[in-house]
Amino acid sequence: MKEQMIRKWTALLLMGMTLLLMFIFVISDKKEFSENENRYLAKFPAFEWGKIRSGEFMEGLESYTADHFPFRDFLMGVKTQTEILAGKKEINDIYIAEDGYLIEEYQKPENTERIGNILKAFAGELEGEELEIRLMLVPTAVYVYEDKLPARAPRRNQMETAEQIYEISGIERIDCSRDLLAWKISAQVFGQRTGELYYRTDHHWTTLGAYVGYTAFCREMGLEAVSLDEMETRVVAEDFRGTVYSKAGDYTRKGDAITIYTNPMDRLTVKYVDTEETSDSLYNLEYAEVKDKYSLFLDNLHSLIEIENETADSDRELVLVKDSYANSMVPFLVRHYKKIYVFDTRYYKQGVSEFVKGHPGVTDVLILYNMNTLDTDLGIRGVY
Amino acid sequence: MVFSSIPFLFFFLPVCLILYYMVPYRWKNSVLLFFSLVFYAWGEPVYIILMFFATAVDYCNGRLMERFDKREGMRKLFLVCSVAVNLSVLAFFKYADFLIATFNGLFSASIKPLGLGLPVGISFFTFQTMSYSIDLYRRKVPVEKNYLDYLTYVSMFPQLVAGPIVRYSVVNRELRSREIKREEVGEGLFRFMQGLFKKVLIANQAGALWEEIRALEAGSASVATAWLGALAFTLQLYFDFSAYSDMAIGMGRMLGFQFPENFNYPLSSVSVTDFWRRWHISLSSWFRDYVYIPLGGNRKGTLRHLRNMLIVWFLTGLWHGAAWNFVLWGLYYGILLILEKYVWGKALERLPKICGHIYAVLIVVVGFVIFVFDDMGALGGYFRSMAGCAGNEWWGEEFLWYLLNYKVVLAAAVVLAFPVYPWFKGKVELAGEGIKTGASLLAMAGYAVLFVVTVAFLVNDTFNPFLYFRF
Repeated sequence: MKEQMIRKWTALLLMGMTLLLMFIFVISDKKEFSENENRYLAKFPAFEWGKIRSGEFMEGLESYTADHFPFRDFLMGVKTQTEILAGKKEINDIYIAEDGYLIEEYQKPENTERIGNILKAFAGELEGEELEIRLMLVPTAVYVYEDKLPARAPRRNQMETAEQIYEISGIERIDCSRDLLAWKISAQVFGQRTGELYYRTDHHWTTLGAYVGYTAFCREMGLEAVSLDEMETRVVAEDFRGTVYSKAGDYTRKGDAITIYTNPMDRLTVKYVDTEETSDSLYNLEYAEVKDKYSLFLDNLHSLIEIENETADSDRELVLVKDSYANSMVPFLVRHYKKIYVFDTRYYKQGVSEFVKGHPGVTDVLILYNMNTLDTDLGIRGVY
Repeated sequence: MVFSSIPFLFFFLPVCLILYYMVPYRWKNSVLLFFSLVFYAWGEPVYIILMFFATAVDYCNGRLMERFDKREGMRKLFLVCSVAVNLSVLAFFKYADFLIATFNGLFSASIKPLGLGLPVGISFFTFQTMSYSIDLYRRKVPVEKNYLDYLTYVSMFPQLVAGPIVRYSVVNRELRSREIKREEVGEGLFRFMQGLFKKVLIANQAGALWEEIRALEAGSASVATAWLGALAFTLQLYFDFSAYSDMAIGMGRMLGFQFPENFNYPLSSVSVTDFWRRWHISLSSWFRDYVYIPLGGNRKGTLRHLRNMLIVWFLTGLWHGAAWNFVLWGLYYGILLILEKYVWGKALERLPKICGHIYAVLIVVVGFVIFVFDDMGALGGYFRSMAGCAGNEWWGEEFLWYLLNYKVVLAAAVVLAFPVYPWFKGKVELAGEGIKTGASLLAMAGYAVLFVVTVAFLVNDTFNPFLYFRF
């Protein structure tokens, strides 16, 4: 008889949980933005006949209920912990790697040829101008820290794809992949020059990784790289939990530290052309206080930024066409250029090649992308 | 709307049930009908008209059959009319483009396909209404005089989009008067939850594994991985489909209906014949009662029997989707069943049971590979990978990777594919009071924890496909 009672209470418990969650959903305040996932949550869909007929309204309602469900962050954590408990080493395309690393998988590239041809067309536009054009395709953690991936994880070589793009585009390359690997190995062998090249919880390289990339750039361009010892070092955040952290949903992890470098010899004017703001620093430390801390480099997203350095080594001018990886490398580059124009081709729509032709002072062009977002977000289409 | 979604679980179903329980008995069918129409319109806001049309035709034919009760010729005419309308609707919406493509291929013509979307559940509800007309003609069921009750029967949301195919004869009494008992509501709820857990925690995960393996470049999957992929898809389809039936049966019980069982541990079969007695029972018995037996079954000589088998299995295949691979899949079973009946069935029975299990599972897994690829080239490529003729290895590191990542889901799926749960329940029944209490407390904790985990997987917007949009 007891057992019948327990069964009855089990049924009531399940019904109660359902009704309670329903009730909390209805009365709770709906957030617009999820800090954890770093994205805007779905809005309540517009109630229109056209959208009902096409089914768009119902789909919208489904994302809305999922996005604003009570205890969403907690439940996402429950899901990830369940999967980790079940022995999964890959969650939402993120490898649970060694040494506390969360490493984003390199998906099968779909647009290699297209990207190569876009770059070739860009270089073609600038033919005849007196310019040094370079292409720098940066590997992500999945390539450099391959040894940290879980055992038997499928591997796809980013630099093979990069090789194809270099060849199709015909642009002279700057390959920093070996520099990054060499730095990693010497750190392991000699126990010195330690430090992480990539964040454990974010898809970007660290400022140290960016520095290694910068030394490769200097070597290829015949410049003398500034030593890290000459730079001022500052730790601006200790608890940076980045995009990969959000994607994996394992909220038990510690954050990363962000170190920034400043050269005391530089005298900078940073002009954000789209917002018409000016600053004397490459960093906006207000971002160190929020979730999306990587945005502190070059103030997050801008279509065009003009950076002048009064005390630069030369009178050369650089056009930098890039994604967010370059944002943490610019602080090293400013030493060598009187002026740097920084383009984000996802937002700059007037054509970079036109810009270069209209500015005869420009002497160098550097195209810098990381191998993961190059293929997936295709921002590079805006290059010409 | 799929059952395993937040809007259904936390809004549609609770609101529907609360209203349903609150209103007096004479209003219950209306509440059920209203919610069923909302449910269907959610996925198919336009094609709902089609369901009104098909049910109205069958309702009218039913009434006419009753009116001309004494004139066999007229009755037959109305039956033919009903079946013809249903089959035309099905043929037009589901098979027109397939016929056009086949015609174009055969005669290198270039007729433009119609490009109509397939109305969800059309194969289920047309089969249901036909069962009514045929049973009425055979005088097995009384005529339904209330159109709204008839529409309620056909559109009833628990079984509308993915079965089981509930015949009118099964529910006609309950449609008029049913009792709603507390214990039944509770048991129905448990059954629903079991289905939900199966769908979200097993079927979707096995499906994710299958999608990963399927996406591998041709020839890069080792033989072992290709077989693992085929097994993963088999488990996905079984757990998904039977979960839908569990949820439908559970909701039916909560509403006061007894729907027929649709799956009986098909992956634990010992032969192909056994498998088809356990897999999608409501469909195979439909074909048996309305096609196979009227054709003469096995009573009119071997040749007629072979013909009947091939017709039934051709149609069964075609029912699953408008593409040649489904036909091929149906005929594959037709031929195997014939061979089992006439060639090796007896020998198989004499072998140890384990041989039968291995034999049946191999055939089923290979069968579902035919089922899943509607592109013959891709199908051939996958079979080459499974046979080791694609220049691939027997076994690779990636096989272990997939196996280790999905070990818990795979192990749970394989165990639950056998009747372990009823066996365990039977043991507890016979045990003493203490063990019974312990087991029910354990069940309570299990339901609560699995419910939270399931909701967590649903909220996280992972892979949650609806597989029956082609049926």
